[in-house]
Amino acid sequence: MDQAIEQILTLIWSPLRALDAFLAEHLPGQETAAIAAYAFYVLVILAGGLMAIGSRNLVRAMLGLILTFFGVAGMYLLLGSPFLAFMQLLIYVGAVCVLIFFAVMLTKNTNEGEEFKLPSPASAVYGLLAFILPLAVLVPLILVNAPNLKQEAIEPTDTSYLGEGLITENVVGFELISIILLVAMAGAVFLAWRRQPDKGKNQSGQNDPAKTKELRS
Amino acid sequence: MDLSITSLAQIIIACLMVIGLMVANAVVMVYFERKTAGFIQRRPGPYEVGPRGTIQAICDSMKLLGKQLFIPGNVDWLLYFLAPVLAFFPVLLLFLPIPFGKFLTAMSVDEGILLILAFSGLGVISNILAGWSSNNKYGLLGAARAVSQSIAYEIPMIMSLLAVIFLSGSLNLSQIVEEQGSWPWQWNICVQPLAFFIYLVSLVGETNRAPFDLPEAESELTAGFHTEYSGMGFALFFLSEYANMLLVSFVCVTFFLGGWKGPFLDGFWWTFIKAYLIMMFIVWLRWTFPRVRFDQLLNINWKWLLPLSILNLWITAIVVKLL
Repeated sequence: MDQAIEQILTLIWSPLRALDAFLAEHLPGQETAAIAAYAFYVLVILAGGLMAIGSRNLVRAMLGLILTFFGVAGMYLLLGSPFLAFMQLLIYVGAVCVLIFFAVMLTKNTNEGEEFKLPSPASAVYGLLAFILPLAVLVPLILVNAPNLKQEAIEPTDTSYLGEGLITENVVGFELISIILLVAMAGAVFLAWRRQPDKGKNQSGQNDPAKTKELRS
Repeated sequence: MDLSITSLAQIIIACLMVIGLMVANAVVMVYFERKTAGFIQRRPGPYEVGPRGTIQAICDSMKLLGKQLFIPGNVDWLLYFLAPVLAFFPVLLLFLPIPFGKFLTAMSVDEGILLILAFSGLGVISNILAGWSSNNKYGLLGAARAVSQSIAYEIPMIMSLLAVIFLSGSLNLSQIVEEQGSWPWQWNICVQPLAFFIYLVSLVGETNRAPFDLPEAESELTAGFHTEYSGMGFALFFLSEYANMLLVSFVCVTFFLGGWKGPFLDGFWWTFIKAYLIMMFIVWLRWTFPRVRFDQLLNINWKWLLPLSILNLWITAIVVKLL
């Protein structure tokens, strides 16, 4: 019965597959499609970046950041690594952006963008420095390596291959990253923990059920 | 992923079918939920429109379609309109990798479950955008609750799914179903009962359903993040909420209850029967338990579900390594 269904399905899709084969012969090949996709993702990333910098409103800037993350995820897809693309969305859009939103939500929503200020000269200089430093590293690297690049068709990376690499060859780096994250987490817990005794003193224990019990007795 | 008209046509047809499923699901579930609520609270529920009130839900949705889209003053109009759209459209994508039957998969992605988890993050963002942009204190409080709740419940959810992934060694949903047998004792629920329980609890938390519906608690927050939405804006939120319920039920069926496999005759009917049994369970929960307090909600997650899921993952890893 399974085979019968499979045959019916191939019969249904056969006209479209024939059209595909026809187009594959007469249209410019995969390379043009890849370049078009690349250009599209570059545009998405740039548009997101401009939106993030240019908006007068923090939440709209955040939306630009999300757009950029989507563009970067598309780049990963184009490089044949859907695993990294989905992880990019899961971690950056699903977790990091949501957490930043959590902080932004405490700002005022007036639509005039009160938090928007033109940068002072000093911060403009720092910003320029932060822009130039990565360029100073990346541009020479690109100039040196560009002539040696080879054009190869990219095969999708197998996720199991990725996992095997993480726990055999690159296990030290992998563990170091997890230690850094652990330290960051412990630091966050410590910072949140330290304020609690002060808070109890200031409010004279009104919100503390244990203390209220003591007062009552 | 090959670029071809065939795959594009398959995805478009699948999206159209999913839209149909979403709308039909919302209409049927609204009627079913109101009737169940009536039955549990010993009242008739809807009974005026049509025989036993069956077309009540259709009339309600017609009313919603005809309503004016009202924009409150001082809202950020871009984000205000973007939020319902962002709630609705990613859900279409989430249904693509789900194997409804042996040949009923729109797009068999190797990282299927990752795709679902990645794009479900957009649902949270739409909730926040809606709450923030509508410039309303109830909306903002609802959005703040939605964030902390969904971040908290996402972790045990992923951990419990990870335990099943350890067993099957694949992120592809079709392959996870293939690993399971037709009879109930061959399903993953028998191997991973704790993971199933954790997933079932965090499923309710993730879809903002009672008893964990703090982001839209009527008695405290009017309607939470969608307080200021009317007409189609509200309808889109509503549709996506029910579609999300259906989606987590399908994922649960795929991971723990054998997917499209069932006793006697395998087929897509088993997926739907099992998924709707879980939906009935969610509805039953809503009308049986009172709403928890917000600190209780977070305590259940961080102090019980998370340690339990880590323990479960740990034991699973050791057993898989030893066998």
